[in-house]
Amino acid sequence: MIEIDGLSKRYAREVFALHDVTMRVGRGEFAFLTGPSGAGKTTLLRILLRQEAPTAGRVIVDGRNLAALGPADVQRYRRTIGFVFQDFKLIPRKTVFENVIFALRILGVPDVQQRRRTFQVLKWVGLQHRANAYPLELSGGEQQRVAIARALVNEPVLVLADEPTGNLDPDLALEIMNLFREMNAGGTTVLVATHDRELIHHVGRRTIALDHGLVTESA
Amino acid sequence: MIAGLTYFVTEAWASVWRGRGAAILSVLTIAIAVFVLGLFLLVAGHVQRTVEHWSRSAELSVYLHDGSTDGERAAVRSVLRATPAVAAVEFVSKADALTRFRKNFPELAPAAGSGEDNPLPASFEVRLGSDQSAAALERWSARVSRMPGVADVRYDRRWLDRLVSLGTFVRWTGLLLAAVLVLAAALTVTNVVRLSLHSRRDEIEIMELVGAPLSFIRGPFVGEGMIQGGLGAVVALVLLRVALTLAAPRLSALAAGLFDVGRIEFLSGLWVAGLIVGGMAVGCLGGLVASRRMR
Repeated sequence: MIEIDGLSKRYAREVFALHDVTMRVGRGEFAFLTGPSGAGKTTLLRILLRQEAPTAGRVIVDGRNLAALGPADVQRYRRTIGFVFQDFKLIPRKTVFENVIFALRILGVPDVQQRRRTFQVLKWVGLQHRANAYPLELSGGEQQRVAIARALVNEPVLVLADEPTGNLDPDLALEIMNLFREMNAGGTTVLVATHDRELIHHVGRRTIALDHGLVTESA
Repeated sequence: MIAGLTYFVTEAWASVWRGRGAAILSVLTIAIAVFVLGLFLLVAGHVQRTVEHWSRSAELSVYLHDGSTDGERAAVRSVLRATPAVAAVEFVSKADALTRFRKNFPELAPAAGSGEDNPLPASFEVRLGSDQSAAALERWSARVSRMPGVADVRYDRRWLDRLVSLGTFVRWTGLLLAAVLVLAAALTVTNVVRLSLHSRRDEIEIMELVGAPLSFIRGPFVGEGMIQGGLGAVVALVLLRVALTLAAPRLSALAAGLFDVGRIEFLSGLWVAGLIVGGMAVGCLGGLVASRRMR
């Protein structure tokens, strides 16, 4: 699913966020991207989301060479992946339901299907009863579940998560991880960036470790 | 398509409402621009109507010397009748002129004297066609004024020409002023929409991340500009209508004296629609400029 070869990202003349990174994540795999703050995890995810372009190297996701994508291709590409961030990235002025259905609306899915699918994913994350609530009326765990519902509503082939449990207590973090596991069990490839070694240990999946922009471990 | 438009309008309206403080500023600047433009259009329209009215009834008066002979009068008459620019010719004798003067200005009748010391000259009143060039008529009237028996030629198209010039001046001044104001309004809308963009940058980032097309992201901001523009135009037109209604009695008296066009009329439906669409177009432009940096 993800093939990265010789990826480097340099911000200033000698400041490398990523340096000659080569890694693979297979289709249907669940992998962790770990490392201390500043290791390059977020930069790697931003490149995978095509928010940034690499300085060097090749990144192929689901058969697409990200460097070759034009603006319209980037939009189409992003519709096939889901994302979850530490700060949830929900739209405060929209209800839970509106936040989730929004991702379907841009796909031009018929209204009835949009609603049905949105209720399905909200039910899956256990928030169907909070559909009309606004994000700021929810707890951190609930907000992250909304973000996961949004990531999953358009049935993506890949879900990228950047420190999705960073703002949550350990019990809630495990609850969120269980959702990722269920999502993965359904066939979705999942790549979660986290520095929480304990959580990784608890979930027990493959880990790709980064440090100072270099892959230091992939097991 | 309809769902998309509904989304744009709903989002745009919600955005206008959230940022209503800044939106009011936008609406007011557009309102000022449209108000000024509308005002100048009103004035220019009335000047135009006056010109048309006077053109239809434009007259040239050929005054004759008191001692002019029948032969001289006949010569003048035949020259007038043979001229294509002339629509009709009427001879007004000294007695007719005095009768008409007494009728039109009864309070001045004693000053006009009696039949024996009538100071008013005989004349030919010539009604001109409306499609004649002013320069040609000028040359022709100069030639008539040199004919034997002719004392003077009064040609009120000169006033018309001045009025046309005034109308043109008013129109261009208005357009220039309105253009400056429209530019200012467009800049204000641009900045207000930019503020809105800035306050919603997180939301835009989310839209970009879920792969929303540029039109989907930009649409509400362009719609926001259009709403502000349209509202500004409507506010301006309402204010203009109210101002005209309040000032109508005084203006009508003034207009009757100055322009002879009857009552003061508001802009036509076509102009009203045009100004609203124009206001929306300016707002649309502001929204497009503000959101053009989006990728």
